[in-house]
Amino acid sequence: MAQQKPTIPKDLPPILRYGLAVGSVALALGLALLLERSNFRGVEFPLFLFAIAVSVWYAGLWPGVLAVVLSSLAFNYYFTEPLYTFYVARVDVPYYVVFILFASLLTWFSTIRRRVEQQLLQSQDELRKEVAERTQQASLLNLTHDTIIARDMSDNITFWNRGAEELYGWSWQEAVGKHSQQLLQTEFPIPIEEIRAELLRTGRWEGELRKTKADGSSVVVASRWSLRQDEQGRPTTILETNNDISERKQREEEIRKLNVELGKRTIDLEVSNKELEAFAYSVSHDLRAPLRHMVGFTELLQKHIGSTLDEKGHRYTRIILESAKKMGALIDDLLAFSRIGRAETRETMVSLEQLVKEVLTDMQPETDGRKIAWKVGALPNLYGDRSMLKLALVNLISNAVKFTRKQPQPEIEIASMETKQDGVVVFVRDNGVGFDMKYAHKLFGVFQRLHQSDSFEGTGIGLATVQRIIHRHGGRVWAESLVDRGATFFFSVPSRRR
Amino acid sequence: MDNLGRILMVEDDPKDVELTLMALEEYNLVNEVVVLGDGAEALDYLYCRGNFTDRTSENPAVLLLDLKLPKVDGLEVLQQIKSDQKLRMIPVVVLTSSREERDMVASYKLGVNAYVVKPVDFHEFVNAIKELGVFWAVINEPPPGSIKKN
Repeated sequence: MAQQKPTIPKDLPPILRYGLAVGSVALALGLALLLERSNFRGVEFPLFLFAIAVSVWYAGLWPGVLAVVLSSLAFNYYFTEPLYTFYVARVDVPYYVVFILFASLLTWFSTIRRRVEQQLLQSQDELRKEVAERTQQASLLNLTHDTIIARDMSDNITFWNRGAEELYGWSWQEAVGKHSQQLLQTEFPIPIEEIRAELLRTGRWEGELRKTKADGSSVVVASRWSLRQDEQGRPTTILETNNDISERKQREEEIRKLNVELGKRTIDLEVSNKELEAFAYSVSHDLRAPLRHMVGFTELLQKHIGSTLDEKGHRYTRIILESAKKMGALIDDLLAFSRIGRAETRETMVSLEQLVKEVLTDMQPETDGRKIAWKVGALPNLYGDRSMLKLALVNLISNAVKFTRKQPQPEIEIASMETKQDGVVVFVRDNGVGFDMKYAHKLFGVFQRLHQSDSFEGTGIGLATVQRIIHRHGGRVWAESLVDRGATFFFSVPSRRR
Repeated sequence: MDNLGRILMVEDDPKDVELTLMALEEYNLVNEVVVLGDGAEALDYLYCRGNFTDRTSENPAVLLLDLKLPKVDGLEVLQQIKSDQKLRMIPVVVLTSSREERDMVASYKLGVNAYVVKPVDFHEFVNAIKELGVFWAVINEPPPGSIKKN
């Protein structure tokens, strides 16, 4: 603030200001009288002028007026003829006029001076404020983690924040004044001339740049440039912010590689899927024909040598026929099983209750001669492939029918229940031979059988088929059993399908 | 004999041919059967070209068509027949080992008249062939332009 002497008279209390006027005039009078006594003549007038000047300059307008009045009175009384009276001779009037003019002139000067002083102070104040603001801004820029670099139009660095120090490893003392591109060995994706042209045209540019750190390692940054112009519109400074995206770049590269890999695998998978399909197709066509021929020609052989064939011969041909038929059934089941994996599902809303009814009707020929106590409970509707779901139910129910064959009072229950873990669960329960739970994990494997073929027929693919169907519908399938106490097969219905 | 057949059978497997003919024997239909070994021959026969330029130009009363055939496969033969104004009326029965759904769908899309999967069981096979032969060559009234009964 105003550290200079208090130059604005209004800052002083009035008593001091008027006192200064009275004092200076009194001092001038005393000095003049003293000098007069020592026979120095003619100095009184400049002395009074000096007193007026001091009053006006340092005490302001009204003390100045007081000084003029007092000086005029004192001059008149002590120094003009007739002495020691307040009579004003015409010849003395110019003195007083000079007093007044001198005071006015000095007042005018003082006003100007004060105004200039005021302005000076004001601009000083503004300057100080701006300096403070800039300092704060610069320290804010230093606070950010982002890298901020400013450079002049010849690419010499003028500002280098802490983020820049941290990223590139040069302190600001080392960096400021250096040529930006040379220091950082910047690699541009397009010619620098084009970047400059865009910067000058639009005031901005952004892109990815590769730069080199102090330790020689390279870094990829997302760089944003903006142009600062002076009041005349001439570009002065380029402000550049950098974000280290090396890691992101690396991840992007990894993702790209993974995608390529994935694409390759998908193609591989498609190829092997196609091969599998071709394989199944050719099995379906080519494996059956020889079987048919074996069966056909064995029958013809039987007919041909009919009467001459002994008991053993009949047995052998029968075994050939049975084996061929078994193989035919295996091929059919295997193909059906592979079809479930390959076929597109056609999904609709399926009523399991309706489906179970259909299955039971279809199975009537098998169950007709038996007294099975059927118990069919409430079953959910679910969104899925009708024919596949039917196949699953056929397998589960015909298993129940098959494995209760030796039970004098067979009971089969088909119902559903709500569980915490799996939501709605459908189950098929029988009181048949059951199985040992320690083999439960083998139950759903292809061609896995837990019973010998001569006690219960089958190819061992039914439950694998059930599992595949339920999995394709997003559900889970499992079983519980005790030997000779029946078995229960469960499958869950995902809630999104209800 | 070749030129008189009302049943055209396209089958590349001689054992299947033998079994089929045996089944048809019972109804004296064997003389009616013309057997061809691949799709290209079948088309030559139908268009009276190649080895068959001399045959009478009537169409067979039924065509028993295997799907897996050398040179030109069954589906191609079927497509050719069903897209030809003169041949499309010939009843075509696909007789195949395959139960593949896509074969079945493709055949019906092309306008096949029947689709029969050859049973592995000999008796079933014989019965199926007999019924086919009797139905198409005896019971069914063939479209105009077919070879007349002997």
